[in-house]
Amino acid sequence: MRAPPSPTASDPGNGDGLMHPVEITFDALLLFSMVVLAWQGVHARNMFRAVVSFIMFGLLTAVAWVRLEAPDIALAEASLGAGLTGALLLATLGRLAPERRGARRPKVVKLSTLPWLTMGLAGTTVLLAVTLTLPAPGLGEAVLAAMPAAGVDSPVTAVLLNFRAWDTLLEIGVMLLAVIALWSLGQDVLASKPRLPAPALPALVRLLFPLFVLSTFYLLWRGGHGPGGAFPAGALLAAGLVLALLAGAQVPERMRGAPLRWALGAGLFAFLVVAVGLMWAVGTFFAYPPQHASILIAIIEIAAGLSIGVMLTALFLGGEPTDIKGGGK
Amino acid sequence: MTVFYLAGALFLLANVVVALARVLRGPTAADRMLSGELMGTTAVAVLLLLYGATGIEALLDVALVFAILAAMAVVTFVRRTWPEDPAADDEGESR
Repeated sequence: MRAPPSPTASDPGNGDGLMHPVEITFDALLLFSMVVLAWQGVHARNMFRAVVSFIMFGLLTAVAWVRLEAPDIALAEASLGAGLTGALLLATLGRLAPERRGARRPKVVKLSTLPWLTMGLAGTTVLLAVTLTLPAPGLGEAVLAAMPAAGVDSPVTAVLLNFRAWDTLLEIGVMLLAVIALWSLGQDVLASKPRLPAPALPALVRLLFPLFVLSTFYLLWRGGHGPGGAFPAGALLAAGLVLALLAGAQVPERMRGAPLRWALGAGLFAFLVVAVGLMWAVGTFFAYPPQHASILIAIIEIAAGLSIGVMLTALFLGGEPTDIKGGGK
Repeated sequence: MTVFYLAGALFLLANVVVALARVLRGPTAADRMLSGELMGTTAVAVLLLLYGATGIEALLDVALVFAILAAMAVVTFVRRTWPEDPAADDEGESR
């Protein structure tokens, strides 16, 4: 995903090409905090400290993307990093045995530091050299030139769901495969007992859940003409569903089995129906006729957003919900 | 005015660095989690100030997403990760 090329992308400062000292200090402080947090996330001996550092690193990464004028990526990082990734890591930590939570494997063997450092430096140098030799305007201008036929106003959505829709289809397919693989490993692990009673939590979730659903559809709608779209929207929906599960909600009886599986597959299904249908109607796989592109993209986006939300929740569940009663509460 | 917003954002980021010290020092898991939440709230304010400085509307959406997701980490922590002895230092070596 790449931010829409904006006229100010080359000079994020105040227009005269120079950054204000306040901006430079801000960026330096941001970088410093990110390096400290990244180091802690990898090297902290205490696992909880590492997880909290990682969550905070995600927060600051989103701010860094904002500073780089890439709000689309900032939105994706915010919705996935602040919500589901943190919840998954914390829940996993809670399932580890207490003695494994504190201690981590002994520190990296000193002897291997030198080769790794050399390889890391060499890799960074190569990447830097490659970055410098990239064609300067990139593909931004090609995308902008093709925008009139895209059916949406946002260049990022146009790339994701029109020009490179095939890639997005495969991404959704990979997510579905991950859910299938995880569900094959065993039954849901949600049955683990809550560690603290939280009497106010169900009331809070009842207040918050409609807001999550509202924001999900807001981001879906926003994806048509600005940063937003199926992935951040799906992540928000998943966060709302996970919050409900944490508050003690159960997967409704009538949703289990076939309806849930259809919801999981809806995104990939819509994608494939559109792609194959177009092959039948127009003759080319995934070539939208420009006059129908808008509505086709909207259908795919809604189906993909909902099914991404359900898939991420399914990953948090850790297995297909069973008929066994009990669990949360 | 732009410089004013940026200076405000810088001040809040300095607060984040102070919260960072608490995340690193602990001593209990709840201390780390709460300073993490403080950083989340501060990030929302930083984004809103950056919106004031740059006028990119998408920053409001990012701030909205952060604000609505603020409850996630702490709810998961309370329901799934809460330590058996909350007062205990959670460093591995003290167990």
